[in-house]
Order: sequence, then structure tokens, then C-alpha cells
Amino acid sequence: MNTNIETFKYDNRIVRAFAIATVVWGIVGMLVGLLAAAELFFPGANLNFQFITFGRIRPLHTNAVIFAFVGNGMFMGIYYSLQRLCKARMFSDFLSWFNFWGWQLIIVGAAVTLPLGFTTSKEYAELEWPIKVALAIVWLAFAVNLFGTIVKRREKHMYVAIWFYIATAVTVTVLHVTNSMTMPAGWFKSYSMYAGVQDALVQWWYGHNAVAFFLTTPYLGLMYYFLPKAANRPVYSYRLSIIHFWALVFLYIWAGPHHLLYSALPDWAQSLGMVFSLMLIAPSWGGMLNGLLTLRGAWDKVRQDPVLKFMVAAVTAYGMATLEGPLLAVKTVNSLSHYTDWTIAHVHTGALGWNGFLTFSMLYYLIPRLYKTQLWSTKLANYHFWIAMLGMIFYVVPIYVAGITEGLMWKQFNPDGFLQYPNFLETIVHVVPMFELRAIGGTLYIAGVFLMAYNLYRTAQAGQFEPDTEAQAAALEKTAPVRGRPSFHRLLEGKPLFFTVLAVVAILVGGLVEVIPMYLIKSNVPTIASVKPYSPLEVLGRDLYIREGCLGCHSQMIRPFRSETERYGDYSKAGEYVYDHPFLWGSERKGPDLARVGGKYPDAWHFNHMDDPRSTSPGSIMPQYSWLLTQRLDRDALPARLAALRRVGVPYPADYENGPAQKDLDTQAAKIVANLKQGSINTAPDREIVALIAYLQRLGTDIKGAPVATAAQ
Amino acid sequence: MEEKVICGLDGVGIYGIISICIFVAFFAGMLLWAFTKKPNYLDKMGRLPLDSGEKDPADHHHPDAL
Repeated sequence: MNTNIETFKYDNRIVRAFAIATVVWGIVGMLVGLLAAAELFFPGANLNFQFITFGRIRPLHTNAVIFAFVGNGMFMGIYYSLQRLCKARMFSDFLSWFNFWGWQLIIVGAAVTLPLGFTTSKEYAELEWPIKVALAIVWLAFAVNLFGTIVKRREKHMYVAIWFYIATAVTVTVLHVTNSMTMPAGWFKSYSMYAGVQDALVQWWYGHNAVAFFLTTPYLGLMYYFLPKAANRPVYSYRLSIIHFWALVFLYIWAGPHHLLYSALPDWAQSLGMVFSLMLIAPSWGGMLNGLLTLRGAWDKVRQDPVLKFMVAAVTAYGMATLEGPLLAVKTVNSLSHYTDWTIAHVHTGALGWNGFLTFSMLYYLIPRLYKTQLWSTKLANYHFWIAMLGMIFYVVPIYVAGITEGLMWKQFNPDGFLQYPNFLETIVHVVPMFELRAIGGTLYIAGVFLMAYNLYRTAQAGQFEPDTEAQAAALEKTAPVRGRPSFHRLLEGKPLFFTVLAVVAILVGGLVEVIPMYLIKSNVPTIASVKPYSPLEVLGRDLYIREGCLGCHSQMIRPFRSETERYGDYSKAGEYVYDHPFLWGSERKGPDLARVGGKYPDAWHFNHMDDPRSTSPGSIMPQYSWLLTQRLDRDALPARLAALRRVGVPYPADYENGPAQKDLDTQAAKIVANLKQGSINTAPDREIVALIAYLQRLGTDIKGAPVATAAQ
Repeated sequence: MEEKVICGLDGVGIYGIISICIFVAFFAGMLLWAFTKKPNYLDKMGRLPLDSGEKDPADHHHPDAL
């Protein structure tokens, strides 16, 4: 028996810092979301200011709520619970603060660069390469601090919450590094190493698992810590939590391709994604039930305690979202839901309900304890709960209605066999009232956050902050050499490194099985002889398309449905995207698909449409892009960009960028200017609009009219 | 199209078999492991978060603890 009792201190300062950051960034991120929501029914809401158009602030909103709000909330909860579960102060105070300030700087970096249009365009991975490098360094600091604390722990066993933290730390590293493989073409411009189908698979393998391992696993760990703490009773079934953990980390990683159903991604990968998504219901619901059943015999507390109220709602929302997710991954359901607002509603059930409510519950739990006092107003917290609940319902219900309506209207044929709503605009105008209702729901939700911020502020004022909490525990005995072989379990729990290796293997299996064949296929992608690299002017136009975030509303992937081929033209093929670094398939349609928009309208139409979308398309919700008509095209960037594209495999001739490219650019620009002149529009050839028109007019034209080989030849 | 692409790869058939083997082995091992845990161990682990080792537990100051 070890009687060597040690006294030590838990670091509360770092927890408080992350708590403040969570509230502040939560408000910022949600307000940006509200602005984005407003722009969908009031396209002039950006006041013709290019830095806050929907295309640019949508990624800002998603990054802010995922990495700033939930990210800080995650660190807050982990830094509090890890110390107490390990009975040890964090491994290094320096690393703790490096993690904190580094993370805040990255958020500020994102808040500056995304509105400026510096983006990779890959969803939830939009930040350009210097910020991505910084992110990797800060994340590494967090991981070292996490493992260092685990190594110096005084508690022999690693509680299941720590398993979730470890899985988060290693998997996010793997995902971030793999998906961030880009070729820089300047300080804030880069091109994905992967192209087309491969890029899409890697991106959605990342995107889906960002949801899994950033928004889910750390929060499940936090649920397994804070729910028993708040209810003051052990988790319902520890055995179930073990199964929950291993099944979840093993299955989750396979499900990414469900974001690409009916796309040009090979069918086997789509089916794999769908089947594993369905299997995910089991561990997800196991976890939800484990959480809810922990409250058996304590439901009376739920009536009074806002902390438990928020937790119960959070866990229930987790259950709802993780049932709906697999259903959306069923190909038939997905054929209706994909590209519609249904996905947005689904995401917000998870974000507002699961992440939001669990974060609020942790804040209501932590702040009174850190300040050695009681919550200033339980009544106000209860108001917050009901306002947030109403806000969530007012948010998601209209968007569900909008999503299903969009999906049905896009697919509707009249008795004569023609599209009932051939003009895409009809379908979007029809759901604009739902967008308005959604904004009301969002406003309510944010109002609740303000109530919470005030309540927590008053709580902090009423109490006295305890920077360090004194604690005592017996030092961990150095394990005596075990005779014979140690048991598997002893190995697993006693050695964090061994545990980590196993967790990494569990997550890598799925990733490798899906991604490796996709690389092998690289030489077998059914190439289409007529598909050629983009011209210099088109490359710059494509970069403008990326800068403006056009893919936030316009897809470039026509699915093989009659309703889509009737509307947009022939379905998209893998071979069409071999020079697309990055792929720009998009995941949302607030406007029509653009995969075959080339040649559909005259150049002058595009010019007028960008100047004022409502002049060509009455009722359009697209913002004006008048600055494209006046801003000069940055053609100085061309050599670096063409060279970078060549390095990632686009076959531009050697030295093309240092001579012929500029000449080709001039020739093509002059042609477009001449076309515009025919439409009574005078513009200089060096304006951004010329490059964008060049790119849009190119889309889908490579295979138009030409017989297309659809199999490997 | 996809079948042709996949079938064109040498030895790709083994991929599916390996996948299903890994899958079954993983779940069988995990379930076996979870269900051979002793009840007193599970009970002890479940209670782990409830003891934070704090000398003066902050919960004294919280209405729930009263």
C-alpha cells in the first residue's frame, strides 16, 4: 500500500481563459452565422461590401463555431477534467498557455484571411497553408501536454474520457496533415496536391471526421466526465462506454464517402461509406443511452438544475443527429437531401443541440466552481435553456421544410415528362420565407447566449476566483516487474503509448482501405482525351471563383438522375476533374449547378449578372459582385500559380509561365472583351470579370459534343 | 465502370476479404474484452470521476451538493 500522499495544485487559470474565449468566440461565430442567414433572404445585407459576402463569411461562420466556439469549449473541458482524472496538474503550464494563445491567434488569422478571400475552398479546411502550419504546431503542443499529463498521472487507470481525448488528439493530427497537403503558390495561395475524385475523397474523409473527431469524440469524453459529476453518480454502464469508444472510433473513419453519394466517386467507395454510416447508429445510440441512463433515479434533479437540463437536451440532440446522419447516408434518402438545406438542418441539430448545449452546461457547471460561489441566477439559466431550445426548433424546422421542398421541387416532372420547375430560381424563391424564419430561430439562440454571458459574468463578480485548486493523491507506485507476461488489459491501461497505437490502428484501417485503392486508381481513372488543363486566364478566373466562395452556393457535380441531366446536361464523370486542384464540387445549391454552364449564356450575360444578378435573374438571392468589374486582375501571380500547378501534376509545358502564358492570357482576354463589346459593354481586358467569364465559359465544354469514353481504355 | 476499374487492379479481391476479417476480428476481440471485465473493476472505473482528489471540493459551494 502506498502511503506517499502528495499535495499538488490544479491549474484553473487556463480553464477560465478557455471559458472566456468560448463565450466570446461563440457570440462572434453565431453573429456571423446570423449575418450569413440574413444574406440569404436579403442579398444586399453585405452592403455591397466584398469582404462580407455570403461566399466569404460562410466559411468564417463554420470555422468560428467549429474551431473557435467548440474548439475553445473542448479545451476548457479537457483542461479541467484531465487534471482531475489524472490527479495531476497539466504537464506544462507553458504548453497550456502556448495552446491557448496560439489557438486564439489562429482564430484571429482566420477571421482576417477568410473575408479577404484567402481560402483553399476545402470545407472546414479553408485556412491557407501558413495558418495550417501554425495550427499543426499548436495542436502538437496540446497533444504533448495531454500525453505528458497522462504519463505523470497519479491515478493508475485511464478513465474512458481520456480515451476519447487521446483519440481526438491523434486522429485530428492525421486528418489535418493528410488533407492539408498543398503546393504553395505564394504566401496565401496554394493548390491541393490531389485532384478531382481523389481530392474529393480525401476532403470528405477529412470533413466527415472533423465532425467525428473534433465535434464528437472530445465532447463524448466530456459527457462521460461532466454528466456523472453533475448528477453525482457513476456512469450507467462502464462496460458500455468501453464498447461505445472502440466501436465509434473504428466505424466513424469509414463513413466519409457518404458526402459524395451519386457523385463521380467510384460506387464501391460510396457503398462502403453508406454501410458504415448505418452501423454507426449502434455505438452512437449506445453512448446516448449510457448518458441518459446515468440519470436514472436523478430525474428530479433535471427539473431544477440547468446544468443537467442542458446536458439531457445535448445528449438527446446527439441521439437525434446520429440517427438522422446514417439515414441521410442511405443513397435513396441522400438523392433527395443532398445539396439541399436538409443537410444544414441536420448539422445544426448537432451543432446547436449537441455541441452548443453541452458547452453551455459545462460553462454553468464550471464558472461557479472556479469562482467558489453559486450561479448568480438559476432562473436566468432556465430562461436561457428554453430560449435556446425554442431558438433551435425555430432554426431547424423551417430549414427541414426548406430542404425537403427544394429536393422535391428539383425532382418534380409534369405529366408531359418535362421538369415542373425548369428555372432553378423558382425553387429557391419558394423557400425564402423559410430562410427568414430560420434567422428568427438563430436570433433567439444568440439571445440565450447573451443571457448566459451576463449570468456568468455576474457569477464571477459575486465570487472569488481560485487560480489553483489544492488536491491530494497518492503517488503512483512504480509498477514492480511483473513475473511472466503482463495481461493485455494491464498493458492497455498502463501504457498510454500502447493504447494510443491501438487507437491509431483502429482509425487508420478504415482510412487506408478507402484511400489506398483511390490512389491505385489514379493511373486508371477513365481519362477523357478532350479534357485539357485550364488556360492561364481560366486559372486566374478559377482562383477568383475560389476567392469569392462561389462553391458555397453552386455545385459542379451533376448527379446521374434524369431530373439533373434534364436541368444541367450530361452527368459528371471522374475524368473531367483530373486537372481540378482543388476539386470544386461543392455541397450546397443555393443556385444552379455550374458544371456545364460554359457556353450556356453569352459573355455579356455573365457580365451583367455579376454586376447585378437581379437584372438577368429577377428574384435571385445572389449578391452583387460589382467589384469584379473594376478590380484589376493580379496577373503577376500567374507564373507562381502555373508553376505550382505543374508541380502537382498539371501538364503545362516547361517554362510555359515565363512567356507564352502571358501571351495566351492576352489573346483570350481580348476575345472576351470583343464579345462583350458586341453586347454593348466596354471593359478593359485586365479586369477580374474577364478572367471569371473565361473560367465560367470553359466549364463543361471539354466534353460537350464529343463522344466520351466512360470506361478505362 | 467502377467494377472494371477495381477488377483491373492486381489482387484487389483480397482487399474485401482483408477488410471483413479485420472488421470481424476487431469486434469479436473488443466485445470479448469488454465482457470479461470484472464487475468490481467496472464499478471502480465508473466512480473515478467522482473523486477529484480536491482537498476542499468546490461542490460544497454548489447547491447540488447540499
